[in-house]
Amino acid sequence: MPLSLLIQGAAPADDDGEGERTIDGIGVAPGVAIGPVYLYEAGAWQEAANVGFESVEAEAGRFERAVVRSERELTKIVTVAQEKLGEDSGRIFDAQLLMLRDASFYDAVLARIRDDEVIAGEAVRAVLDRIRDRFAASDDHALRERAADFDDIRNRVIRNLQQGRALSNIDPDHVVVASRLTAADVLLFSRRGVLGIVLDFGGPTSHVSIMARALGVPAVVSLRSLTSEVHSGDTLIIDGLSGRVVVRPTPATLDAYRAKQARYDALRAELPRDFGPAETADGHPVALQANVEFREEFPLLREFGAEGVGLFRTEMLFLVHGRALDEDQQYAVYRDVLRAAAPHGVTFRLIDLGGDKGLPFSNREANPFLGWRGVRILTDRPEVVRPQLRAVLRAATEGPARLLVPMVTFVDEIETIRQLVAEAAAELAAEGVPHEAHVPIGIMVEVPAVAVTADRFAKRADFFSIGTNDLTQFTLGIDRGNELVAHRFRELHPAVLELVARTVAAAHDAGIPVSLCGELAGDPRVTPLLVGMGIDALSASPPYLRLVRRVLSTTTLPEARALAAEALRQSDADAVRTLLFNWLRDHTPDVAAMLVPAD
Amino acid sequence: MITREVTIRNRAGLHTRPASMIVREASRFKSDFYIRKDGYEINGKSIIGVMTLAAEQGSRLELTFDGPDEAKAAEALEAVFERGFGEPI
Repeated sequence: MPLSLLIQGAAPADDDGEGERTIDGIGVAPGVAIGPVYLYEAGAWQEAANVGFESVEAEAGRFERAVVRSERELTKIVTVAQEKLGEDSGRIFDAQLLMLRDASFYDAVLARIRDDEVIAGEAVRAVLDRIRDRFAASDDHALRERAADFDDIRNRVIRNLQQGRALSNIDPDHVVVASRLTAADVLLFSRRGVLGIVLDFGGPTSHVSIMARALGVPAVVSLRSLTSEVHSGDTLIIDGLSGRVVVRPTPATLDAYRAKQARYDALRAELPRDFGPAETADGHPVALQANVEFREEFPLLREFGAEGVGLFRTEMLFLVHGRALDEDQQYAVYRDVLRAAAPHGVTFRLIDLGGDKGLPFSNREANPFLGWRGVRILTDRPEVVRPQLRAVLRAATEGPARLLVPMVTFVDEIETIRQLVAEAAAELAAEGVPHEAHVPIGIMVEVPAVAVTADRFAKRADFFSIGTNDLTQFTLGIDRGNELVAHRFRELHPAVLELVARTVAAAHDAGIPVSLCGELAGDPRVTPLLVGMGIDALSASPPYLRLVRRVLSTTTLPEARALAAEALRQSDADAVRTLLFNWLRDHTPDVAAMLVPAD
Repeated sequence: MITREVTIRNRAGLHTRPASMIVREASRFKSDFYIRKDGYEINGKSIIGVMTLAAEQGSRLELTFDGPDEAKAAEALEAVFERGFGEPI
């Protein structure tokens, strides 16, 4: 998650490729890492393959793993090919799948490894080339064409072998630099003990970023072309808090960042293992909750003292699996997160697809952000949300669960969802399935119309959750995903703050709680402002809760209120930002120091 | 052991798609399954083996089944060939 500064990658100055270079990207996972570069790219795999033979068992194991990976890839391809190109195209890849386990290939490779004591890659090449050559030499034209299938299989298995080797060859204590990675790669790297990750592409809400945060691996993304500017072995500093990366740092820069690293580690170590509720310096409680979705993240709830899950983005599960999960699969995940959050609760946001989050239906919308998304899809297609409602109601016997409706624009959307929930509960009751019939139902406040007429919505919803990311986009009319204008995006624009203030006022008048779950919630610079404005709960990515908690504990409620009042008087976003940062620097200098580059 | 004689009915012959269809179907059964063409015999459950057959439309093949469910296997596989693998004849 970026702090509310969205720093664009700087264009290279005059660089001779020798001296120190500073590049600013988006910090997505906090922490400081200093170490030699491991450049992870396609070319890197070939050299890794030239390692010698260790044992039959080792090579047989590598081979089996490469086959399994190849099977997974091909299975996915078969599915996609069938969906997009029809049954027939799927068959060709299906044949390749069958080839992987065919005795003429599989057993032959194992025999080769054993008899000739060669590495798996060599055995695979030898066996497949022999088969392939037989086909290629045939008089029959159709048979000659089949040779290509064996080339495909050989390349796939070899690539998976080399990847497996390359990954297992990664030294711990390196910083990985790549153009892109998958979340699975991040998990693998983390297990190998890499110090940090830096990517040319990617954004703060991508699965890769979420995974890096979940695993505590400092990460910076969106560096444009770093992979072509560094060499393996160069020293690299990653500052996941400020988003800055320094290549080939001078001794002075190294010292500055080592000091920052030490301060960050001290901050991490100093907070107590068992957390009481978060509160201001004068004892006013503010619930600090976490945004999580994946099992890897569940332990973070306890580690960072989150009081439950303030935002569970259910569509993440669907996007990661590439398909809808059925009711039982969803129930299992929801039940487990409720258990992980106990004794606190979990707020489940109903699937929020559309906009920039892919749909299985290929609708081409001219204006997806203003289009068919969130609750609009759910009310048009109740069959999409029914299994989810049933799953949540069933899981709700494990702990306090709340439902959050995304992209609400009209009050009767709330009524429609309530109706669907009631129907789901009635079904479950009739079936004799244990469930909670009544769970609080709240709404995302992200469309300006809702913030402006918040009092009317406050009468119908059980709680509000302010989504500042989208609220800011709609209010300013700026698409933060659009590179041409993203640098104009300012969540601290007075208009946005006004809408937040209105929403809070309406919520408190109606006696319902209001939380904030946009990226602002995790930005320690904004914490006093939000508390002063009357937000009851902040939900952020777990690693950021530490700094937020620290700032909270050094601020009194009257101070926060005064700061908020002054912020709302400012004429523009930059003035607000300066005000907040100066305040933090004076009040909690150690946290302020964390948020800026050390050099 | 059961033997069946079949003919390749479809225009495109025994290319990769029918090959994978045959192997998938045959693998459902426990019995061993061999295909013989022009005196050359291959394991019908091996995709690589079946691919080497390159039988064109009109070719005659001998199918051999040996095992506890050979009757069922024979019936199923014969049907796959009879259908022309679901392709244009």
